[in-house]
Amino acid sequence: MHVDEKPQKVNKAKKADKKQRRCLAIIKSDCDVTPSDDPTPYLAILNVGLSNGLTEENLLQAANKSSGKVTEVIMLPGKSYCFVVCATLEDSQLIYLGMHNVSTIGQQGAVAYLSYIKELPALAGKSEWNRHLPSGLVVIPDFVSEEEESTLLEAIAADGKTSEGSGTLKHRIVKHFGYEFLYGSNNVDPSKPLDQSIPTACDVLWPRLENSSSTWDWSTPDQLTVNEYEPGHGIPPHVDTHSAFLDPILSLSLQSDVVMDFRRGEEQVQVRLPRRSLLIMSGEARYDWTHGIRPKHIDVVPSASGGLTTQARGKRTSLTFRRLRRGPCDCSYPMLCDTRQSKAPQELSASLATQAVSLEQQNVHEVYDKIADHFSETRHTPWPQVAGFLESFDPQSVVLDIGCGNGKYLGCNPQLLAIGCDRAQGLLAVGRRKGQNVFRCDCLSVPVRSSSIDGCISIAVIHHLATGERRLAAIKEMARVLRPGGRALVYVWAKDQRKNDKKSAYLRQNKAVNKERTTEQQQRQKQHQQLEKLANNTPLPVHTNRTEFQQQDVLVPWKTKDEQRTTYLRYYHVFEEQELESLVAQLPEVQLTKSYYDQGNHCVIFEKISKNSL
Amino acid sequence: MKLSTYNFLTSMAIKGVKVGFPLKLTIIKKDVVESEFNPTFVERILPKLDWTAVYGAAQVAELTEDIPAVQPENIGENEVLLQKLHHLLFEIDVLEGQLECPETGRVFPITDGIPNMLLNEDEV
Repeated sequence: MHVDEKPQKVNKAKKADKKQRRCLAIIKSDCDVTPSDDPTPYLAILNVGLSNGLTEENLLQAANKSSGKVTEVIMLPGKSYCFVVCATLEDSQLIYLGMHNVSTIGQQGAVAYLSYIKELPALAGKSEWNRHLPSGLVVIPDFVSEEEESTLLEAIAADGKTSEGSGTLKHRIVKHFGYEFLYGSNNVDPSKPLDQSIPTACDVLWPRLENSSSTWDWSTPDQLTVNEYEPGHGIPPHVDTHSAFLDPILSLSLQSDVVMDFRRGEEQVQVRLPRRSLLIMSGEARYDWTHGIRPKHIDVVPSASGGLTTQARGKRTSLTFRRLRRGPCDCSYPMLCDTRQSKAPQELSASLATQAVSLEQQNVHEVYDKIADHFSETRHTPWPQVAGFLESFDPQSVVLDIGCGNGKYLGCNPQLLAIGCDRAQGLLAVGRRKGQNVFRCDCLSVPVRSSSIDGCISIAVIHHLATGERRLAAIKEMARVLRPGGRALVYVWAKDQRKNDKKSAYLRQNKAVNKERTTEQQQRQKQHQQLEKLANNTPLPVHTNRTEFQQQDVLVPWKTKDEQRTTYLRYYHVFEEQELESLVAQLPEVQLTKSYYDQGNHCVIFEKISKNSL
Repeated sequence: MKLSTYNFLTSMAIKGVKVGFPLKLTIIKKDVVESEFNPTFVERILPKLDWTAVYGAAQVAELTEDIPAVQPENIGENEVLLQKLHHLLFEIDVLEGQLECPETGRVFPITDGIPNMLLNEDEV
């Protein structure tokens, strides 16, 4: 037995050495820290840190056990190491001997490896805790007593309307009082108050706010949403819909502390919400910052000594008190304001009319010429209902694809004589290489004989035209080339990317939002900052890809896949429901035969009326 | 550009042009792309084509001996002619050349097989 033990010990030491070297390489590359063979007062504590649940208390306890005195602890968020400064060289040596490869202070008993280092890391970037709180954000600690906490929890357990789908959203359990908050539309329906109003147990809270509430829009709330978060649950960064609720939003934290992230574009502030505290978000904090909770089991929080430490989460219940707005929002923070974002500036339609041609030239034709190859790579699969339309023609019919792009529909039905046209030379060249019949023209002047074509398709084309007159003229041009009895199919992008609360394929591809890692609002705000310069000289808003449209006339970014990652802005007019149908209705020579919604597009089929039936 | 496509093209969008058809075709460089002959396809597509432009294209492509100036009756029974039409309309591919408006003389170039029918803003 005695013989066997020795090699095992050697192996353990070897393993520790190897592990330590690996950790030292990490801190060298992370923060340029150099180890020292001779003792120094500075120690790197490796393999354990905030990322694996080390607390300052545990670390100090372990150091204490080895009788060494620590004067400073430096813990870095998201890192599996930390640093300590010791009182003297002797303390440093005591701690090294007492803890290295001995102290199991990390999560699941991870052992600490220690190393002397020449200097402390020069810490770039201050901790997010030292930043100023967003204006209008207040946390009142001990807002309710422990007895009141129990009373409130009992009151909400007894009543309330749970959210659809048995009340369990992706990461939490939700209940409503007063009015139901509808997560599909991110709004409330003021005409449908719930039977359950805010429990009277809450009434004691409002007199405590009399001083602050003199400047608020309201003094008592009429809507309460209760969220139950288990450890590991979170809520993606969001702003409470401006037009749904007045200023401020109140949130009472019960049962456990939590850390809430506040973000405005690239700015980020972390705020600790202690158990039984009240969070008040008003003004800028209510309207211009998003707030959210990361789905984690352990929070990193400031320690008593001014450093950082970790804190395990318990089950937390939050009570969010709000008052309905019942009208448009009049805040002065337009970026996240649904009222402001959905209202087009009045001068916009006038400016579109005068600039239509140059806008289409710069923000449609020139962009497609530049992105032709990359765009073409992303457009290969025919949409089934378009292919179905092409299948519906008799063999030997002549079909014209106006705005054929790379010609992906021209080969769909080989029994047809299919001809395509487009403005973008680069895209035509792709179709031509595939042996298709293509020519270059504008969709407002199609150089094709009148009444000569059996079928016509226009897929995702006329939403690039900047005025209603031009969009109508494009449809009129299709009607002109059709023979009497000929049929046309038109697809345009819909402003509404949801049908029956189901997201279109376009929205479904926003993985970060769908997995609740972020929200559309957050993405919009971030992009707004990134593209500020690019979109500066245009009155049009820049749409955030794979989010719902805020306005009808927008610029949609296209990022190239090359190293430059250039962003181009394409102009789109996204269609409201019935808008396409009403264009078709203005042409007496055609008759609408079908209209439908297909994956975020509004679609119509119309037929040219035969002469003898006119 | 296949000569079947040519059969549909017009310059009527130009301001002041009444018919703009047939366009005057000039072939500088052409290719012949063999494709499977389907007599029914050719026969059924013919009513959709303008025979004057079919005949005009045949002249430019130097196939006048094959194609009569007037469309014969019962063409479906004339497989030899259908074969020749197939060659003219679906196999000859104009790579370089031009189309010219019969009324204004405006020239539309054909480059790399693609006719550029795009008009300037002041022409429409």
